[in-house]
Order: sequence, then C-alpha cells, then structure tokens
Amino acid sequence: MVVSNSPTSQSTPASLPPSVFTLPQTAQLEALFTIIRDKETSRGDFLFYSDRIIRLLVEEGLNHLPVIPKTVTTPTGATYEGVGFEGKICGVSILRAGEAMEAGLREVCRSVRIGKILIQRDEETAQAKLFYAKLPQDIAQRYVLLLDPMLATGGSAIKAVEVLKEHGVPEDRIIFINLIASPEGLKNFCGKYPLTRVITGWIDQCLNEKAYIIPGLGDFGERRYCV
Amino acid sequence: MSDSLGTGEQHAPAELLEIPAGARPPLSRTVSNTLRPGAHSEFLLQAKKNTILKSHGRPPWYDEDGHSVGDAFVIGIAGGSASGKTHVARRIVQSLGSIPTVVILSQDSFYRRHSPEDLELAFANRYDFDHPDAIDMPLFASCLADLKAGRQSNIPIYSFTEHQRLDETKYLYGASIIIVEGILALHDPALRKLYDLKIFVQCDSDLMLARRISRDTKERGRSVDGILEQYLRFVKPAYDNFVQPTSRFANIIVPGSDNTVAIELIATHVRRKIEDRSRYLRKSLARIGPRDLSPGDIKDQHFPNLTVLPQTRQLQGIFTILRDRTTTREDFIFFTDRLSTFLSEKALEYLPCAKKDVTTPVGATYAGKQLAVDHVCGVSILRSGGPLERGLRRVIQDIRMGSMLIQSEDKTGEPLLLHLMLPCCIRERHRAEKSFVFLLDAQIGTGAAAFMAIRVLLDHGVPQENIIFVTIIVAACGGVRVLQRAFPKVRITCGAIDPVLRESWALWDTLPSPEPADGDVRSPTAKTKAEAEAEGRKVWVVEPGMGHIGDRYYL
Repeated sequence: MVVSNSPTSQSTPASLPPSVFTLPQTAQLEALFTIIRDKETSRGDFLFYSDRIIRLLVEEGLNHLPVIPKTVTTPTGATYEGVGFEGKICGVSILRAGEAMEAGLREVCRSVRIGKILIQRDEETAQAKLFYAKLPQDIAQRYVLLLDPMLATGGSAIKAVEVLKEHGVPEDRIIFINLIASPEGLKNFCGKYPLTRVITGWIDQCLNEKAYIIPGLGDFGERRYCV
Repeated sequence: MSDSLGTGEQHAPAELLEIPAGARPPLSRTVSNTLRPGAHSEFLLQAKKNTILKSHGRPPWYDEDGHSVGDAFVIGIAGGSASGKTHVARRIVQSLGSIPTVVILSQDSFYRRHSPEDLELAFANRYDFDHPDAIDMPLFASCLADLKAGRQSNIPIYSFTEHQRLDETKYLYGASIIIVEGILALHDPALRKLYDLKIFVQCDSDLMLARRISRDTKERGRSVDGILEQYLRFVKPAYDNFVQPTSRFANIIVPGSDNTVAIELIATHVRRKIEDRSRYLRKSLARIGPRDLSPGDIKDQHFPNLTVLPQTRQLQGIFTILRDRTTTREDFIFFTDRLSTFLSEKALEYLPCAKKDVTTPVGATYAGKQLAVDHVCGVSILRSGGPLERGLRRVIQDIRMGSMLIQSEDKTGEPLLLHLMLPCCIRERHRAEKSFVFLLDAQIGTGAAAFMAIRVLLDHGVPQENIIFVTIIVAACGGVRVLQRAFPKVRITCGAIDPVLRESWALWDTLPSPEPADGDVRSPTAKTKAEAEAEGRKVWVVEPGMGHIGDRYYL
C-alpha cells in the first residue's frame, strides 16, 4: 500500500505567503476557468463549470482538517489501517456570491451546517460593514470553511474573519475558499490573518481602478444568479 | 437436435414447394438475441438475418498479448432465387449446436441506392434486381472484410417497400462465424477471397420457379402472370448468365432439397475449425491472469500510465469509510459518488487541450485553454462500473454512456461478453478513431474483464492512447501487469493500489459480524459459508479491498 502522507495535493507559489494554496494548475483546470471567464458563456454552463471548480476547492480545503488513525475490517475480513475524520466543521458563506458555493460544499459534505454573513460597503466610510450574521451556535468548536468566490481587495473577507473571531473561532481554524484571487487581495488578507489558510483556484494579474480582478470573470453573483 | 431436424423435409412434395418461413424477413432489426442453451435449437430455424446470434456470451477472441487470433470463419452460400439458400444457412447455424456468435449476412442489404429513373423502373417491376450491377459489390466486400477481421461494420438497410436503401444503417460487431447468402454471393472476386468455405445450392429450375410462384402469390400478393413475366425477363437469364456459372467456385454443392446429410457434413467441418481455434486460444489464455501473486507494491513496478490519486488526508479518510464493513449503504453510496467524482476530474486531465482566448465581462482578454477533442464518451463494465457513472456525469453532464456486461463463465472462469451497447461515436469507425473513452470498472483484480473491454474498444478503432480506464482499486499483483504489457498506452487512473489478490469462495463475511446496533450494520454482501459453497463459485478477491463494490452500492 502506498501512502505518501502529503496532507494535500496543492502547491504554494514561492512568491506568496505560506498560508496560500492553489489547486494544481492543470490544463484541465485552465480550460474550466476559460469557460467561466468567457463573457459569452451561458448561465447553465457557468453554473455547471463553476460547480466543478468549487467541488475541487472544497475537496482540497478539507485536506487541511486533521485526521486520526483508525483501523477497520473490510468485508473480506482483512484489516485496513486508515484514518478517521476528526473535528466538526461548518460552512460560512459571505452573501450573496458566497451562497453560490454552498451547493458544491454540500455535494462533498452532506448536511453540513452553513452560516451566513452579509457584508456591504458603507458608502459613508467606504469601509466594509457587517449588516447581518447568522452562525451555528457552537461555531467556536468547529472548523470553518469560509466561502467567497472572488478575493479582490480582501475587504469583506477580512471583515468576515473578524466577525468569526468575535464568535470565538480561532484564526487557524478558518479555511478561506475562493475561485479567483488577486495578488493585492492575498497580500492584504494574509498580512492581517497569517494563520488562516487560503485555498484558491487561480491567482490573477491585478485589480483595475474599479477594484475588479483582471482578467477575472466579472461579478460572480451576478453571473450565477441574474444574467 | 436431430429430432427437430429430420422431420418434415424428406418426403412430402408439397413441402418441397415451401420456402422456409420468413425467407425474406424485414431487414431492419435492432435487437440481438441471446439464446439459452436448449431453447436455441428451434429458434435458430427462424434465425434472423443481419443480426448477431449467440447461444451464450462471446468467449475471448484474443491471446495473452491482446492480439486478435484469426479472423471470423466466413461461409458464402450462393444459388438460384428460391433454391433454399437461407434454409441451408439456418440449418447450418442450427446444427452447429452451442455456438459462439454467428451472423447471417444477406446480399439483399447491399442493393445499390437507386437513381430516380431506376426507382421508377423498380416500382413498375421493370428493374433487373438479379443483375450483378444491382448490387453494391465494393461496399459488400468492405463490410464483410471488416466483420471478418473482427471490426465493427455498419451495413446498409434496404427497404423492399420503398425499393430504396435507407439512410440508417445496421451496426454489427463480434461474429465469429459469418454466413453470407445471396444469389450472387460467389460472383464477385473480392467477396470470394473472403470466404473460408464456398457453398452452392443446386436446385432444379422448375422447382425454384414453383417455389417462387408459391411464395410471391402468398406473401406478396402478386399475380402468376406478373411473376412469370419477371421470371422470364430477369430471373432466368440472370440465373443462366451469372448465378449458375459461379457454381464452379464452390467447395461443395448442396442439393436444394433432401440436404440433411450435406448440411451435417458442413456443420461438422465448421465445428472442427472453430474448435481448433478455441483450443489454441484456451492454451494461450491460460497464461493470462495472475501468475505471480506475491503481494506487490506499486513502487516495485514500472507502470508509466498508471496514476494513483495523491493520498491526501481526505482520500485516506474516504477509503477508510469505504473499506469498513460496518459502513452503512447510505454512507457507502455517498462516499463512492464523492470519490468517483474526484477520480473523474483527475481522469479528465488526460484529455488534450488547445489554446483559446476569451474576453471576460470586465473587458480583459484571457489567454486560456479549451478541450480539444472530437468525441468523448464513457463505457461502464457492468455491474461494478455503475458506481463510477454518477461521478463521471457530474463532470461531463451529458456524456454518452455505453455499457458492456462481462461475466466469468462458471466452470472455466473465462470471461464472456454477454451484452454490448456502445455510444454512436464508437459504432462508426471513423468517429471511433477520434474518440476518447472513459472505461469504468470498480476494480482491476485479475484484469480479465478490463482486458476484454479494452479489446472491444480497440476492435472498434479507438486508439489505445485514447482509452482512459477509471477505477477505484487496482490490485498490485493482479492483471494490471498483463494489461499494461498488452496495452501499454492505455491510461489507468485509480484511487488506491492494494497489495493482495487471492482466490476464495464467493463469500465475504467469514468473521463474526460486529454488534448489530440496529440490525442493519451487517455488511450487505455477507453470505453464509453454506450459501457460498452451494454456489460453488470461486472468485478473486482484492485485499484489503472494499468487498464486492457492486453489491455494496446496489444491493
């Protein structure tokens, strides 16, 4: 039996903080991103292909959870020394785009509890402001998968982690999952919370003057729910 | 079988006039018939044309290196119209007894596509259907050559009511005996080269005419005058000029009636030829299968095209749940689906991509990639390939899924192909050559089913490097070695490599069940020892393995 005990199949680009992990950058993954980036892509295709990426992201995010040794007996009577999952988890999505990742999360983790946070820009102060949070009561005892598809400036993600910390979740028990991240956003976020792991599908070039990720894919929530 | 053979034919003159029922059956058929031994004898007297007939599954037709051994045995039967060719063909099929796979190919399928002028003539009964030019001989020969070489063929369908070749075709594959019948079956030199045995059915002209009148008035509502006119204008001259002369090419001339003895001789000859071949095959195949059963480790081997998923924590955790005999069916299904989805994602990485630039909604250009394949499909090896289907569908939503049912024969343990349903893109050779196929099976133990399935795809023209075998567990010491030696370019993606492959009774749960918490914790595959021994079947077990994956997923 071969068990290379690598906790994850991901890689961290050298230029990035050690808490950032990307999916293996295969041609297949690039092709998936090409479909969801294309503005001509229909909503149906956008849903299907973004779900495929989200599933891969969640699978990789879960690899950062701890496991304990566990021995089981197989139907043929053989013994297998495996591992058991350890620790309770929950998802927290940042409304509205983060909700789009919930289906993918539940495909991998059945009936997982999902909290929701609404963060919007306060037009007076131009700061991210918490408008609403509904979280599982025992969230302090759980690992949290924080869901937001796009990491642009990092403003709302930073605010979300702040909210989670206020609810008693330690920084290192939060795993932030997104599809596309900007280098600026990663720098901001990891500078603020170096212990929170960030799982991202693809790191793009930069932000433009309107704080959109370039090349990006536009407004994820808009494309997922509205267009 | 001789009891159903001998009655009827010898005596009554009235019966000489009778063309066996359904001498010219409708030509389009979609089902192939699996015949139970014992029940097949009667049935084969009405054996359909252009349909693969089989009395049991198709045994292996390839040696341990994966090469096909020998072509199909081809019999050509010519003779005048209503001389009883079809009858002879069916009697041969019937007297072969327990047969592998046979197809009776009719010359009628190969009438040319008619021009509008010819069509008018045909409806006025003025078209010469008995002339060699009416038959598309090159197509006939190429279809037969394909079938003989074990490739698939899509033969044309000719409609007698429309007097025209139809647009659809009939897919045929996998016959080990091919019987070609038609008045001009021995006429074309290209066709003649393909026959292993050439038969001419010799019948008196007056008897043939009498049968023809009898048949056409009864079955086609024709008038005797019309029949006679057609006979004198076309049928008789064609017989004298083109059909009768080909009798000199025949290896054996069979009388059109009272031919029981001749048919028995032919059947004996064919049976011997077939047996020679299968004896050789058995010897070769005995060498397939696990020989070195020392527990293996993938690190000792050199399998460039075998990919194991990275053994991440989640993967190990999933495998622990799947291997655990106390896992409930609900959990087993959920985690199998999750694993198969992930396996499919990994397997898709083998598909080639090409560059593609797109514009994003923010107006930026993205130099990306897109899949560069013509056709992609899945084929699952039933039943255990089924649990991998949902995963593949989650990755390619509308993927075409074919299936093969391959079971081992109880006594010899050799694999039998019982059922084959392939996606359209593989049925046609020119598309198969550009198709990528995900072949699904839960595990590779002895590899016998995988071996046969890959051979089927190769027969259809799918290139080795376009076959991606997706499986949950590979036994390191099992058939995977033979597979990779015979088909070095086929790629295999699996979740785990297990060290042990051993033979055991078809019995899983030899240990006392764990405390039943709600009475349903017992593994669903559990069988008592008595049950297993009564079944008397030995199976190869992968260990530690997951038990019988198909049973645990479905039962």
